[in-house]
Amino acid sequence: MFSMMNGNPFPHTSQTFNISPHRFQPRSKNQFLRRQPSKRLLLLVLCPVAVVLLFLFPTLRTLAIPSLGSSIFRDDPLITTVHHYDLSRSTGTGRGWERGERVLMCIPLRDAAPHLPMMFSHLRNLTYPHSLIDMAFLVSDSKDETLLLLNTLLEHQQSDKDPYQRFGHIDIFEKDFGQVVGQGFSDRHGFAAQGPRRKLMARARNWLLSTALRPEHSWVYWRDADVEVAPPTVIEDLMRHNKDVIVPNIWRPLPDWLGGEQPYDLNSWQESETAMQLAQTLSEDAVIVEGYPEYATWRPHLAYLRDPYGDPDVEMEIDGVGGVSILAKAKVFRAGSHFPAFSFERHAETEGFGKMCKRMGFSVVGLPHYVIWHMYEPSVDDIRHMAEMEQERLRKETEAQEAAGKEKADAGGPAGGAAGVSDSGDSPLKEASQEKDLLAMYENGQGFLDSVRAAELRAAKQVKEEMMQKKLAAEKAKAEEAAAAAAARQAAGTKNGGKKTG
Amino acid sequence: MVMYKSKSLRGRPLSVITVVGASLLLVFYLFSSSSSSSKAQKRPPPAIGGTKSISHYQLNGLQSTWRSFETHERVLILTPIARFYEEYWNNLINLNYPHELIEVGFILPRGREANSALLRLEEAVKKLQTGTKKNRFAKVTILRQDFDSPFSQSEKDRHALSGQKERRAAMARARNSLFTTTINAGISWVLWLDADIVETPSTLVQDLAAHNKPIIVANCYQRYVDHGENKIRAYDFNSWQDSDTALQMAKDMGDDEVIFEGYAEMATYRTLMSYQYVAGNDLHEEIQLDGVGATALLVKAEVHRDGAMFPSFPFYHLIESEGFAKMAKRLGYQSYGLPNYLVYHYNE
Repeated sequence: MFSMMNGNPFPHTSQTFNISPHRFQPRSKNQFLRRQPSKRLLLLVLCPVAVVLLFLFPTLRTLAIPSLGSSIFRDDPLITTVHHYDLSRSTGTGRGWERGERVLMCIPLRDAAPHLPMMFSHLRNLTYPHSLIDMAFLVSDSKDETLLLLNTLLEHQQSDKDPYQRFGHIDIFEKDFGQVVGQGFSDRHGFAAQGPRRKLMARARNWLLSTALRPEHSWVYWRDADVEVAPPTVIEDLMRHNKDVIVPNIWRPLPDWLGGEQPYDLNSWQESETAMQLAQTLSEDAVIVEGYPEYATWRPHLAYLRDPYGDPDVEMEIDGVGGVSILAKAKVFRAGSHFPAFSFERHAETEGFGKMCKRMGFSVVGLPHYVIWHMYEPSVDDIRHMAEMEQERLRKETEAQEAAGKEKADAGGPAGGAAGVSDSGDSPLKEASQEKDLLAMYENGQGFLDSVRAAELRAAKQVKEEMMQKKLAAEKAKAEEAAAAAAARQAAGTKNGGKKTG
Repeated sequence: MVMYKSKSLRGRPLSVITVVGASLLLVFYLFSSSSSSSKAQKRPPPAIGGTKSISHYQLNGLQSTWRSFETHERVLILTPIARFYEEYWNNLINLNYPHELIEVGFILPRGREANSALLRLEEAVKKLQTGTKKNRFAKVTILRQDFDSPFSQSEKDRHALSGQKERRAAMARARNSLFTTTINAGISWVLWLDADIVETPSTLVQDLAAHNKPIIVANCYQRYVDHGENKIRAYDFNSWQDSDTALQMAKDMGDDEVIFEGYAEMATYRTLMSYQYVAGNDLHEEIQLDGVGATALLVKAEVHRDGAMFPSFPFYHLIESEGFAKMAKRLGYQSYGLPNYLVYHYNE
């Protein structure tokens, strides 16, 4: 078949035009070498000589290929005080985990001891090569044992039997900024507290970053300690998009009676005309904060655009970013972008960061359908409501028990009644002990309880304790009353006795 | 084609193999150094980690005071460098602040010119850091920019108004890259010293720190020879006090426009520190400033840590070091200048 076609796999059947490969072609290529054997010899000699020279004198390599200026750009192992870094090697790409790009993970902490065990369970699960992750913690203005616990957990993590579990360099910084407001949910989220609070948070973030960032870092990942559910592949998932700054959508779970779930981070948004006009009317130092009726900005929020069944890779250009989980290229920070601790274009902290990145021409992107779940922290009202619900439940339970008891008494059937009592008496007890274990496990960073259920259990526990205390107090009061009565009776008795004797 | 090639080369297979092998080796060796970092690895080697890699720093105790010298406060000297001047280097190593408390950082642009500067810098650094222990700096970091600088370095080009914005923006970016990656937990002060400052008092660091100001700048002059006579003239016009004219100009400007100082096209009527110098007056006389130059500028590290950086975009119509002073002011830090305390710029 092929011999018939003279080796041409696409023979032209039409006779209009034909270029055959089987034609004479002049031997031009090697004529040069053949005719001048002396030159060939020279070439043969020069090549090894050049190679040897380049081996011996590395500085010559820059002459051979000027773009290789970086090859002399190396640390001398004998001089330990001089370090070289070519920043173009840490610009960050979409496949950092394959190219060995180092990530600096920044975690600001303040009174975060209760969240640390959970945070470490997340850290352990991260699939990004741990040896490529450096961590920086800033512990500020903490009154609980955050620092102590952090140290213990880190020591434990870094002495893990599996070397692939251990992280790179870990820096812990301690710096107090003096707090303007408390860290309670209601304190933190009041409107008036927002401006000063955000500026202080910004300062903390800047201190952390500027102190911890080193030239070898290609990426910076900001993560809050109180994240409840996040995919272990979160760093890769965000990195894959190869954007300068990228954030996922942040939601939080809620108890059923509050709707089950809720958008949490409203700081990721697109700029709107209304907000721009609003900004112009405000004073230079004012800070626009999202999510408060005082500043109605009508901005499209990343949080509200979530579709639970949407494609998690859908991107959306945004102008302000929230700080729960930000992946940014280190070059963004190296270029000077930071978290303004002043009012930058009427925004501060992470929202100001987004604005500044935009101003400097970096891409700022949010993923509306890729969700990370923040913890649920019940407000004071929520706790009260949960306690009321628990009391209601207990009341109904006792009523039901009483009714059952009555029924039993009415029926007079001993067998059925006994079974009923043992049922209703046993199972809640078992359940309670199980739940207690679950709560303890949750607080140690294990188990499958979510923050909503944990909050409910805590409320229930509290109610139970209160009731116990009330009961105890009542019994005590009763006992005291009885004792007093007895004493009175005794006193009366002795009086009577006295009278009698008298 | 294939038939033909093999036929012609069949005669001397050994020489062919040698040539191909040698060139392959050459290419491989040349590129091996630059591509090693991007080598794909299925599973990277286990961590550098271990409990030893946990470091703990107490930043509360960190201070920057007027007694910097006695309290052993660490100083970071930062220089963006595109040309290497012997005089700069000699001046730097003659600073008599204890060298074991000094860390030095350089950043070089990409390009051929910077390569030659790099070679000379390397040589000088190597000589110093292997020399007498007393003279060695605690740490030297040499960085290569990750972006291309638009500017050519000739004196005329550098000062043309048209290119100012791009030039200063690139400079700002270089400065930011330098300080964000080199400030570590131990640093109390940052001294910005330009690569073309060739003469300063050897007590520069102590003198500036003694004022205990968050931001303080020396007056930058230039020596020149006029008719065989040695004279000095004002050089850096970026240190100034604001004027109503300039503020009004800023108000009328578009968002992306920048005011530059020292150009006839833009008469700002600002009070320039350069012209406040009076020979023989008190060296330590202070004035408040609204814009600063970064030729010899001492900054408390906390100012940078709080976020004050060199804007590479128009920030209140200011850019780079002038924008830095403005941003620091927004963060609550006032800038000061010493009009009678002179440092000298290289004369081309």
